[in-house]
Amino acid sequence: MTGRVEVDRDGVEKGLASLVLTIVELLRQLMERQALRRVDQGDLTDEQVDRIGTTLMALEEQMNRLREHFGLSPEDLNLDLGPLGTLLPPA
Amino acid sequence: MADSLALTPIALVDLLDRVLATGVVISGEIVLSIADVDLVYVSLRALLSSVSSVRAVTPQPFAPQPIDPVGPA
Amino acid sequence: MTTAGGLWLHAVMRDPDPARLTGLTGVGGGALRAIAAAGLTAVVCPVDLAEFGAEPLRGNLEDIGWVEAVARTHHHVAVELSQLGPVVPARLATIYLSDESVVGLLTRGRTGIDAALTRVSGRIEWGVKAYTSSAPRPTPAVAGSGPGTGADYLRRKRAALSARSEAATAAAACAEELHRALAEVAEASRRHPPQSRGLNPRAASMVLNGSYLVDAARGDRFAETVAELASGYGAIEVELTGPWLPYSFAIVPVEETRDG
Repeated sequence: MTGRVEVDRDGVEKGLASLVLTIVELLRQLMERQALRRVDQGDLTDEQVDRIGTTLMALEEQMNRLREHFGLSPEDLNLDLGPLGTLLPPA
Repeated sequence: MADSLALTPIALVDLLDRVLATGVVISGEIVLSIADVDLVYVSLRALLSSVSSVRAVTPQPFAPQPIDPVGPA
Repeated sequence: MTTAGGLWLHAVMRDPDPARLTGLTGVGGGALRAIAAAGLTAVVCPVDLAEFGAEPLRGNLEDIGWVEAVARTHHHVAVELSQLGPVVPARLATIYLSDESVVGLLTRGRTGIDAALTRVSGRIEWGVKAYTSSAPRPTPAVAGSGPGTGADYLRRKRAALSARSEAATAAAACAEELHRALAEVAEASRRHPPQSRGLNPRAASMVLNGSYLVDAARGDRFAETVAELASGYGAIEVELTGPWLPYSFAIVPVEETRDG
């Protein structure tokens, strides 16, 4: 994917995309936290730590491109769960 | 003082915080008293659903917790 | 006997001059009327149960436009009445089906309402809200490569996560401190639940939603105190609303009178 692609801005499609990407973003953030905890255990080699980091970095970059492809801001990726607050921390 | 009360622009959310208190009451010959939670559920759904979005919305039980109770209110 | 009319309760007062009520209209456009009992006066206006009865009310309360119009009128009337003396406003949509029911409210609730009128006499309410300060946006990741890039990324992420949780903790602590300091100088104080995100987009970061009862003569001094204290807290943004009628400290009806 290179740069921004004009997509149909119909509300329904954008709404669906934001819902799907919110879930993907949730998983990405969970993975990041998991990875940090794993690294904190202290038994990995420097190379292993670095590889985990670059993988997560690539994931974040992918996520940003996906998001921009649909014309969504970071704030658009979230779910309101009422009394439970929002699904993701504020952008 | 009444002048400043009348002229200050008021945000709806701040006004509703105060006049909804713990809910709505209707009474009379027919007992129509409505459980606090039911009514506030209704009103909060209105307030939340007025913002159109695909987000899932669940009702929020409303339980004010006065830290400094001031007697019968 | 069924009646198509209800009575919207606006407020309870001690002894307003009935002549001053002439010409004032309430919710639904009806004329204000006084119902006196037990040394108190309830100010009501007639409403159509087709719009304000239990069932239609449930529906209307789902309409934010309806709620807003009614709430603002209700408030406007309470403010007008406050010019005639101390007022205990009614909760939004407190509706009675007869004069006798209203008399019942006044006689059963007389002690509590009387105390409430004394409590709010000559006093106003200030609202103080506080939010976690907006965090500066983390610097976007510099696309790099080579050894150590991944480890750098992890360091940045770890720092961002702990900064966020530290900010939340600090904000909560400041809010608590601010509330205690204001409660000290106010006649009474009360914390409301956080506001609804549907009405206030900033609600997710709200850490304080307080109301403070203050002598009207000292109202400005209180507002200055809020500004002074707020400037000392970097972790929160403070917003002052008011002055309000003391809704948070005196409102009718009280729970005990709801016995049908």
